[in-house]
Amino acid sequence: MSVKREAVIKLFTAPNASVQTNRGDAYYADLYRRCEARLGELRAMAPKSRINLHEVLQDDGFDRRDFMKWASATTAMLMLPSSFTPLVAEAAELMNRVPVIWIELQDCAGNSEALLRSDGPKIDEIVLDIISLEFHETLMAPSGHQAEKQLEEAIEHFKGKYLLFVEGSIPVGEGREWCTIGASGETFEDHLLRLAKDAAAVVAVGSCATFGGVPAAAPNPTGAVGVMDVVKGKPIINIPACPANPANMVGVVLHFVLTGQIPELDALLRPKFAFGYRIHDNCERRAHFDAGEFVEEWGDVGAQNNFCLYKMGCKGPMTFNNCSIVRYNEGVNWPIGVGRGCIGCSEPDFWDKYAYERPMADAKLKAPFGGVEKSVDEFGLGMLAATAVGIGIHAAASAVIGKKSTECGEES
Amino acid sequence: MKTKRPFQRVERMTPTMRVIHWVNVVAVVAAVVTGLYIAHPYYQTFMADPAVDKYVMAWNRLVHLFAAITVDITSIWVAYMYASGDRHKPWMKLIPSKENVVEFFEVVLNIFTFNRRKKFDTTHMDSFNAFWFALLHLLLVFMLLTGLQMYVQGLASGESSIGAWWPWILHVSTDWTLTVFGGNMGVRYAHHLGMWATVIWTMFHIYVQIWRTIFWQEGDIAIAFGGSKFPKKRRE
Repeated sequence: MSVKREAVIKLFTAPNASVQTNRGDAYYADLYRRCEARLGELRAMAPKSRINLHEVLQDDGFDRRDFMKWASATTAMLMLPSSFTPLVAEAAELMNRVPVIWIELQDCAGNSEALLRSDGPKIDEIVLDIISLEFHETLMAPSGHQAEKQLEEAIEHFKGKYLLFVEGSIPVGEGREWCTIGASGETFEDHLLRLAKDAAAVVAVGSCATFGGVPAAAPNPTGAVGVMDVVKGKPIINIPACPANPANMVGVVLHFVLTGQIPELDALLRPKFAFGYRIHDNCERRAHFDAGEFVEEWGDVGAQNNFCLYKMGCKGPMTFNNCSIVRYNEGVNWPIGVGRGCIGCSEPDFWDKYAYERPMADAKLKAPFGGVEKSVDEFGLGMLAATAVGIGIHAAASAVIGKKSTECGEES
Repeated sequence: MKTKRPFQRVERMTPTMRVIHWVNVVAVVAAVVTGLYIAHPYYQTFMADPAVDKYVMAWNRLVHLFAAITVDITSIWVAYMYASGDRHKPWMKLIPSKENVVEFFEVVLNIFTFNRRKKFDTTHMDSFNAFWFALLHLLLVFMLLTGLQMYVQGLASGESSIGAWWPWILHVSTDWTLTVFGGNMGVRYAHHLGMWATVIWTMFHIYVQIWRTIFWQEGDIAIAFGGSKFPKKRRE
């Protein structure tokens, strides 16, 4: 009963999805003071790693000016006034004070790849190198028992202080026992719960960790779910997308460093600074959408003219993410820019509901009477045809055996 | 010997109701035609025309939203007439009282005995028709809520040309559809299938009215035009 009540309350009290971009001077003045105090505390702490941000930047050929340009862009991305730029720059320098434990569950390591891309990293990725990464299976030198020992030490040492980054979904269905970690055969679920218990906050990175992603696609053989379905009673931040954009990871960590709090989240626990708008709202091909100019097939004249990809199944109009602004790979390009549609990778159930490369009306739906998949329109037309056939039969029967009320009004 | 009974004129739809009916017809047809385009653009534009002259998707969306607003306004009228105790009192026909349930099944029997059995008063609105109309009104409310949820997704800044209250009220009244139908895409499926349900509803509605006109010989189809039907006078 109480579970039902909770569900009903949750249903009607979903956090408002709108993004507040201006909260007034008083709010920002107060926030500025709190951020300054927080950064002061962090500066007093000993750095967890000895890497110096400016040395690394210099080695990679970025000067102070590049760094400040990045800081002001990131301030804008976090939807803070430009007066916060020095604080953001300082927070980036102090990121090595925040311990991070990164675990991988059911995934392809794509988010680690996005985070670490060594070929020509931009400042976002470099800044992520600075975080005090205490544990990362894919990156660390130790393995086996040594790695586990390091993990235990990190949990013990940074109890209640570390950010737990989770990459990959958690199998909780019948296939849960297929996925274990370590010599003790700890299941992914137990592993996550144990590490989340002492974390300051849990950051789910990528579509798998947030909503189950590809492993959760039908028929979901392992019963894969996202972090927020497993971990309760901890602040959770979801950074979906496949892979998650490093700019958004930096944004979340910076926000935590700056304020000691998690950023404002939407109903799906995604930070609003990154997931407050649809791809469609800032798409460079939006004008072609409004004009009704669509790519009809790959490589046609429309494709050559950068027409809208809606008819090729682009899901930009229903996908909340900032890749149309931030883009990927040093801000070089993004899916629409290279001429293929959005597959909605930052939305729940994206593999089943978004990534089918045709417009929604042609999406395959599981028919309620069996496993045969029908498109939405086929299903609707089928129902319409069934009605038409029923009406036709009734009309024919009426014509043959129907009884018209007689003209004179005598009914028997 | 057979005696002829005179026809009587029974007013069933006031001018207001008829206006609402035909406004709804036009709006729903426009919404279906443009909605199908929005879901899957089914005609192409001429490449040579500059984009500003075409603006095809934008016009389709404009017509769709205006049609939706029209239906919303007529729905408020209809809701008022349900509640205002208009002389036909359609809401009283929806109460599942014994009388109404019996009448409901008598109408169904009338349809499936091909008018061999007609044991209800055909001068008033019967409870089957009242139920069928209520179904449409619920369907339109459903389309309104799912449609406005899709619409408010474009107002992410929380602002609109008429003020912040508008997106706010849309979020409060429609965010639950995300939970119920499974996210943005689920709401779209639901809205699209709701369109097909509306078309099916219309098909059955038109068929029943034509069928009644032919088999009852009471001029039912005239209700939507002249407001009256012409049953025979009952024998005293």
